[in-house]
Amino acid sequence: MTAPLPLNGIRVVDFSIVWAGQSVTMYLADLGAEVIKVENPRIWNPLTRASAARLTPQMCLALPPWLGGHPNNDPGPRPWNNSPAFIHILRNKKSFTVDSRTAEGLTIVQSLVARSDVLVENLPVGTLDKLGLDDATLQSVRPDLVILHQPSFGRHGDYRDGRGYGSHMDAVAGSTILRGYRGTAPLSNVQIVPGDFTAGLHGAVAVLAALRHRRRTGEGQVIEVSQADSSACQFPQAALDAAWNGRASGTLGNRSVEGFVPNGVFPCRAPGDWIAISCRTDEEWAALVRFLGAPAWAEDGALATADGRAQHEDAIELRLADFTAGHDQIKLFHALQDAGVTAGPVLSAAQAANDPHLRATGAWTTLPATDDYPETEWAVPPYRFSESPVGLRTPPCLFGEHNEYVYREVLGLGDEEIEELRAAGHISDTYGLEVLGP
Amino acid sequence: MDALEGLTVLDFSSHIAGPYATKLLADLGARVIKVERPGGDPSRGLGPWLGDTPGVERSGTYQYLNTNKDSIVLDLTAPGVEPVVERLVNMAGLVVVAFPPETRTKLGLDYERIRHTKDVPVLEVSNFGNSGPYRDYRLSDTVLYAMGSEMFSHGTADREPLKMGGTAALIQCGAMAAIAALGAVYGHEAHGIGQLVEVPLFDVQINNVDRRISAILAYRFTGRVNGRPLSAGGGLFSGVHPCADGYVEVTAAGGEYWKRFAEMVGDPALQDPKWLNPATLGDPEARAELDAIAYGWLLPKTRLEIWTEARKARALIAPLFTAVDLYNDPVFRQRGLWTEVEHAVLGKFPMLGRPYSLEGTPWRIRTAAPMLGEHTDAILAEAGFNAAEIAALRTAGVAA
Repeated sequence: MTAPLPLNGIRVVDFSIVWAGQSVTMYLADLGAEVIKVENPRIWNPLTRASAARLTPQMCLALPPWLGGHPNNDPGPRPWNNSPAFIHILRNKKSFTVDSRTAEGLTIVQSLVARSDVLVENLPVGTLDKLGLDDATLQSVRPDLVILHQPSFGRHGDYRDGRGYGSHMDAVAGSTILRGYRGTAPLSNVQIVPGDFTAGLHGAVAVLAALRHRRRTGEGQVIEVSQADSSACQFPQAALDAAWNGRASGTLGNRSVEGFVPNGVFPCRAPGDWIAISCRTDEEWAALVRFLGAPAWAEDGALATADGRAQHEDAIELRLADFTAGHDQIKLFHALQDAGVTAGPVLSAAQAANDPHLRATGAWTTLPATDDYPETEWAVPPYRFSESPVGLRTPPCLFGEHNEYVYREVLGLGDEEIEELRAAGHISDTYGLEVLGP
Repeated sequence: MDALEGLTVLDFSSHIAGPYATKLLADLGARVIKVERPGGDPSRGLGPWLGDTPGVERSGTYQYLNTNKDSIVLDLTAPGVEPVVERLVNMAGLVVVAFPPETRTKLGLDYERIRHTKDVPVLEVSNFGNSGPYRDYRLSDTVLYAMGSEMFSHGTADREPLKMGGTAALIQCGAMAAIAALGAVYGHEAHGIGQLVEVPLFDVQINNVDRRISAILAYRFTGRVNGRPLSAGGGLFSGVHPCADGYVEVTAAGGEYWKRFAEMVGDPALQDPKWLNPATLGDPEARAELDAIAYGWLLPKTRLEIWTEARKARALIAPLFTAVDLYNDPVFRQRGLWTEVEHAVLGKFPMLGRPYSLEGTPWRIRTAAPMLGEHTDAILAEAGFNAAEIAALRTAGVAA
């Protein structure tokens, strides 16, 4: 694999926060762009590098593992360099610090923009404008710049001032109302935020398309991914049933919008073990019936078609749950797949981390220990390129890790200027008192 | 000009994930030649149906996923299909293949075979990749989310784990495949690299930033495992709450967000510092007091009234919309979440619009999803087959 990386030579100025924006730049970095994360020692961006700048082991244990599971539940003095929620999306990136709110800071950022190809941001609407980095200014600094804005509800229209994290955008996008248990009110819906993931994916697609256009024409442009719009595009079945037939879809629980019957999640022998089973075709149903030993209830001809099975879905689910409850989760998974039935275990984080298939196919790579985290396995990107070395090339960037490189090599500043900027609080590998307190 | 103008994609994918990837490319201007099996992409059999009437051209799933594409019907198992495939590959700047590995080899669509015809980027979308113990296993959206993603912690502790709505997991995988495809195309056009890009759906979900990738790392760091909560909601007044005409999602658990919430509701009792003390969470009397105040404010108001107030107060509250709400909402309409397509036979009908707007190279619908085999003759002619040869291909059952 000696071919160049696809985005070799592309530089990205990264003002992104939380997941939706930071994952856009992760994909661009994976593909070979030089992503320079712009960080400010005087500002703490919520849910961007960690849940809080000061964290104790007790606080970590009170948080759910995905957010509080810092190494050994002890984040040490720099929680922003070892949060399980955010550190992985810092892979392949570079971090430099500057206080963009000051005149000299703004000059530095503009100087970086002038040397860059893409700018990505998902700060609250208007934040960049207030800094003096509105689109027109950015384009005057770098005429062929590709600018990606990722506002929650768009930069235009009455909802542009809407605030929120993924859960609020997913609520508006119609995602929240579609999940939950059947027959229960949305009150009981717990939070997941699929929209964050999807907004990051859509954002990267749009930037890549714009980069292709730029390479062919020399033209940059402004892109907007409204995260609510992006999330709504995950649910075309509900959207078109509304637009075409006036129907407001509600939750199906684990049943299938594609009409697969049965389609659900069933208990296995050990407490806490579950298996998902889908009969996508009548052939798969027939295979399942054979697997069950062709009991009389299942051989009923009325169940031979999906429409027929839909009439008896409750009963089928009870019978299946009764069956799966007597079996080992993983053995049943393999046996069902071998029998031609679509099935899979509901994998916990521990099971996924040790999954034999992921291990055999190289889904992880080991990174050495740093002062902030121990040697451990990290996920590699889910796209495997046969020639270009797309992958986990450099570890998650620590706060301010690449100040020397950015100030000296990218911006071309000398010792004296760098010392002045350091003294003025722009250059740091830790947060200032404004964030950390006395 | 379209962003992907001049890019021809030869698309052998079907169902949801692969077609969503190529839809994203097609809607940005790529020409996508969709190769359908005789009888068509199985997604033509999936609802919802235009006018609630099933039919091979009336599937909402198909119509959404295949806008701006051309359809050619080929029987890839028929003798004599090889030269057709070769000529189509020669027209392409990207080939998309999404078959189970064994089928792909049987059909002669392995990367080495394609590369033998033309050194072009090939995107291979698969369930579990080309090796490993699950290589030949089947997937559905639900099984994919169960194995790959964070289903384990979604739902409540006393019940079964839950999936997301619709087929969101497959749509997400399609978007990830589009990233890989555009990376490969950029590498090809900018640096002359033809290569195979594999995107296993399982791996896409393992990398899901909606907590799975975090949950796995947290496990490696601590041995702790994400679980399902005992109940929905959390903190003092967060989660989904009822109002006059439905529900709103609220985050007012503490700190700045609590202050904005308290300011918005305006009851002086909420200014008491006790609300910022985590210990208050465990005080049923205090919680009853808060519920009375908060519901007294929420219940008389509609979702949109609440959202208007929340936006003014910069509070983290948003309405739960259904798809019908979204369809009727004037702001989403004006912003272009909805559009219309003109179908040759069915006429005009509404369509879900764009996930993004590109000012210089707008996302746009040029054509509705193709009818089955609508472009078979035209594409074969473009590939250099004359009328007699096309007729022969049809007679032999190669094309339809």
